[in-house]
Amino acid sequence: MQNFTRRKVLALGAVGVAMPWVTRASAQERKITVAAYSDIFEDIYKRTVIEPFMKANPGIRVDYMGMPTSAQNLGMLRAQKAAPQIDVCIMDVVVAKAGGDEGIYKPVTAEQLPVMKQLVPAALIEGVPGPAVTFDTIVMMYALSKFPTPPTSWKELWNKQHAGRIAIDAPPNLLGVGLTLIANKLAGGGDYRQSIDKGIQLLGEMAPLVQTWDPKPNPYAAVANGVVDLGIGYNARAQTISKQNADRMAVAMPEEGSIAQINTINLVNGSKQPEAALQFMSYALSAEAQATFTEALYYVPTNKGAAISEEARKKTAATPERMARMIDVDWIEVAKFRDKITEQWRRNVISRS
Amino acid sequence: MTVSTADEGTRSSGGRLLITLLLPIVLLNVIAFIAPVANLVAMSFREATATGSMKEGVDLATWSSLVADTYYWSMLWRTVWIGALITLITLVLSYPLALFVSRAERAKALLIVLCISPLLISAVVRTYGWMVILGDQGFLQALLRSFNVTPPRLINSQLGVVIGMTEILMPYMILSLLSGFGKLDTTLEQAAETLGAGPLTVFRRIVLPLSMPGVLLGCLLCFVLAVSSFITPKMLGGGRVALLATEIYDQAIVTLNWPVAACLSVLILVVFGTALLFYGQLSKIVE
Amino acid sequence: MYLEVESLEKRYGHFAPSVSDLSFSLGQGELLGLLGPSGCGKTTTLRMISGLVQATSGKIKVGGQDVTGLPTYRRNMGVMFQSYALFPHMTIAENVAFGLQMRKARHADIAKRVESALAMVHLSGVAERKPRELSGGQQQRVALARALVIEPDILLLDEPLSNLDAKLRDNMRGEIRDIQQRLRMTTVFVTHDQTEAMAICDRIIVMNRGKLEQIGTPHDIYENPATPMVAEFVGRINRLEGQWRNDGAVAVGDSLIRAKDDGGTGRVLIMIRPHRIDLSASDAKSAVSPEENAINGTIRHVTYVGDTFQYEVATTGGLLHVEKATSSATDPFQPGDTVTLRWKTRDTLTFSTEVAG
Repeated sequence: MQNFTRRKVLALGAVGVAMPWVTRASAQERKITVAAYSDIFEDIYKRTVIEPFMKANPGIRVDYMGMPTSAQNLGMLRAQKAAPQIDVCIMDVVVAKAGGDEGIYKPVTAEQLPVMKQLVPAALIEGVPGPAVTFDTIVMMYALSKFPTPPTSWKELWNKQHAGRIAIDAPPNLLGVGLTLIANKLAGGGDYRQSIDKGIQLLGEMAPLVQTWDPKPNPYAAVANGVVDLGIGYNARAQTISKQNADRMAVAMPEEGSIAQINTINLVNGSKQPEAALQFMSYALSAEAQATFTEALYYVPTNKGAAISEEARKKTAATPERMARMIDVDWIEVAKFRDKITEQWRRNVISRS
Repeated sequence: MTVSTADEGTRSSGGRLLITLLLPIVLLNVIAFIAPVANLVAMSFREATATGSMKEGVDLATWSSLVADTYYWSMLWRTVWIGALITLITLVLSYPLALFVSRAERAKALLIVLCISPLLISAVVRTYGWMVILGDQGFLQALLRSFNVTPPRLINSQLGVVIGMTEILMPYMILSLLSGFGKLDTTLEQAAETLGAGPLTVFRRIVLPLSMPGVLLGCLLCFVLAVSSFITPKMLGGGRVALLATEIYDQAIVTLNWPVAACLSVLILVVFGTALLFYGQLSKIVE
Repeated sequence: MYLEVESLEKRYGHFAPSVSDLSFSLGQGELLGLLGPSGCGKTTTLRMISGLVQATSGKIKVGGQDVTGLPTYRRNMGVMFQSYALFPHMTIAENVAFGLQMRKARHADIAKRVESALAMVHLSGVAERKPRELSGGQQQRVALARALVIEPDILLLDEPLSNLDAKLRDNMRGEIRDIQQRLRMTTVFVTHDQTEAMAICDRIIVMNRGKLEQIGTPHDIYENPATPMVAEFVGRINRLEGQWRNDGAVAVGDSLIRAKDDGGTGRVLIMIRPHRIDLSASDAKSAVSPEENAINGTIRHVTYVGDTFQYEVATTGGLLHVEKATSSATDPFQPGDTVTLRWKTRDTLTFSTEVAG
């Protein structure tokens, strides 16, 4: 009897102590977690987007969770499906599509997120839960000491002078998948949805020149450190790293055009703070945030209104000529035969090196 | 009669004590080992769509497509034989070292510490070390070139993986061998000598058979570690060495096809089980 | 001579040699004991003969042929180790067959010889067992069979009996001697137990600190030890210190003792074995013959060990130990009894403690 009373008193006391804290926290600060790429992306995104957002919205705290790849980002949420600890994910469109299909992300509409009306049409992709937040392109990185004149064509990858000095991330890495489509176009292979045989054959001719199909820690470092002379990578990272290693590495955007890589911003299904999350997404897609982020990391903005300096624009694919030469790719379609591409590479490309 | 009842009593209370004492480790194993493995097996019976999203429900689709794909069979075979090759080279290189250390009269403890000191550094760091040594601008290539030898590709190749894995596994092999050399007694070798056995025969008929328990243990350990490691093959293989473990990594981390990754993980477990069976049978023979 | 050892020496580093200046020879079929305290170099000597230890200098010849430079496996010597050193991973038959296989004997021949070797040591039934399934005594017989089956030129036994219990040891000792005699096997037997050596050896070498102290038959060694060390090592013995007198007797304290050797000069060590001294009540008057010593003393201490009484007797010459067989007919002496000690002059050993000259 006595025991029971004592327990009851203790419980009441605990509630009494906890209550003021709970109310204060919910009234004054809402917390959301954004999961996106680690490394450079993390540093710059925090500085150029998250911190200004928090300053503008003192009631919302944004935690950043850096993930090495988009797939790991989704994997984390798969494990937390019952009680997700993440509210917003920025990730590759292919992964976002898979997560959307599994119901891990909730599709957002222009009614919930009016800023979507300011985005370029290519940012709104059918079947993907969230809109595109950045565009990027595949480029070549080269060692300055080995190239008296900057390379202008993808054909440089087939130049025998670079034998054993090329680094390519092979499929299933999306860089390799993208290169397959570029090669298919170079070889005149026609619609990639029909056949990529010519592209694979052309890549097979490049294979003997390649040093590694899995550059470690990444292709940018491999070129910057002089392990290889030529590699392929994504423009934003390549530009940033070449700025840090201006005497050693430079970036080339070949004249045949390139392929876009798309990152989308997605709302997690089951987020405990959906309003705060949408508020953040709205800011991330705003002309202001898009512009500052591009100035710092050279991703192409998806907001039509983003005002970018000429200097930054030159380092992105956002110039009209470059945009005109972009190779049109439907990543969702490509994802469906990614396994087949990987297998083709193993049988007919990597095996020839 | 009374005595026997008392005996029964102690036995059953002893049993209860035993259960109480075993409970924590059983629970830990259920939580940390059996549950994840069960989860893995369950995952292998799901299916992923082409874009990577997983379908609901249970079916054999992933397994049947895997079994039908010769690519995975050749990968399984390559994994087993490269694992066996690495184990064999590790054994051949470690055996004399371990024998020397076990017979050292002075500074034996120091020698053992030296042999296993690489374990103090993570395998990733050591693998980076090998990338520096074996790389195109590396020390070894430069040395070979200075002798006008055109070296084969030492890195980003199967050879690189074998070299790196061998060095990484040697401490484990040496430790296992040292533990197995306990049965070796130099008097036995001397006895064989007095009976007319030359040094080679002494090694073949006495030293080797008596050290077999250590050899088998070391081989089992190194084989399992070689088959399951993916960091070193990924870093030194340059994408040319597709093994089960690296494929599991790719499927789980890059293409997001968890069901395939789970199937391949179950396959690796089967490989380990088979290795364990072999080990059990062979140990019975050498006993 | 069948086995000849000439000026053998073994040094490890700069330490005093483990064995030095050791020479002896051994006839065909002879059983030689190497006797001495631990660390005296007897095992090192055995190992040099077998080739397991390389001699620093000196020569070892077998049947006239110099084998000093040959490795062990070319020497054809059967060695039985203290720990038996049976191969644990082989059956008893495989253990015994090992040496024959090394000699490339024919398969059928091996089987036959293994069988007869095991029969010789009365172990026919255990051929297929592993060594660990056998008792210590059985393992020892296997080791003996394994050493003998190769028909070695010389059999070397390294403390073969020390791991057996006392009763088994006496049996095995006899068996080894039997087999050795039957095969007329030239044998070197290392032991630290003088009874063991005395019981079966034709000749014994007593070693001390790496050097040969004495070589001789067991009788020689016991009755005419060359040095006090030998005398003390091969059995219990009293030691008294005295001074030679001109008349050939030795003055020990207030007593005069006559010795086997008659005369010398300077200080001398006298040694008498306890069981060679006779005790009688001191009032029993009897004549003292010239071949006998007699001195009076008082019993200090009595120890009963079953077959003997061990007395400590204080005499004018010093404290003496005396052993008497127990008997139901006579009552033992008690502490405080005064007694007369008598012993033959030929049982009185003398060792001059001063360098002559």
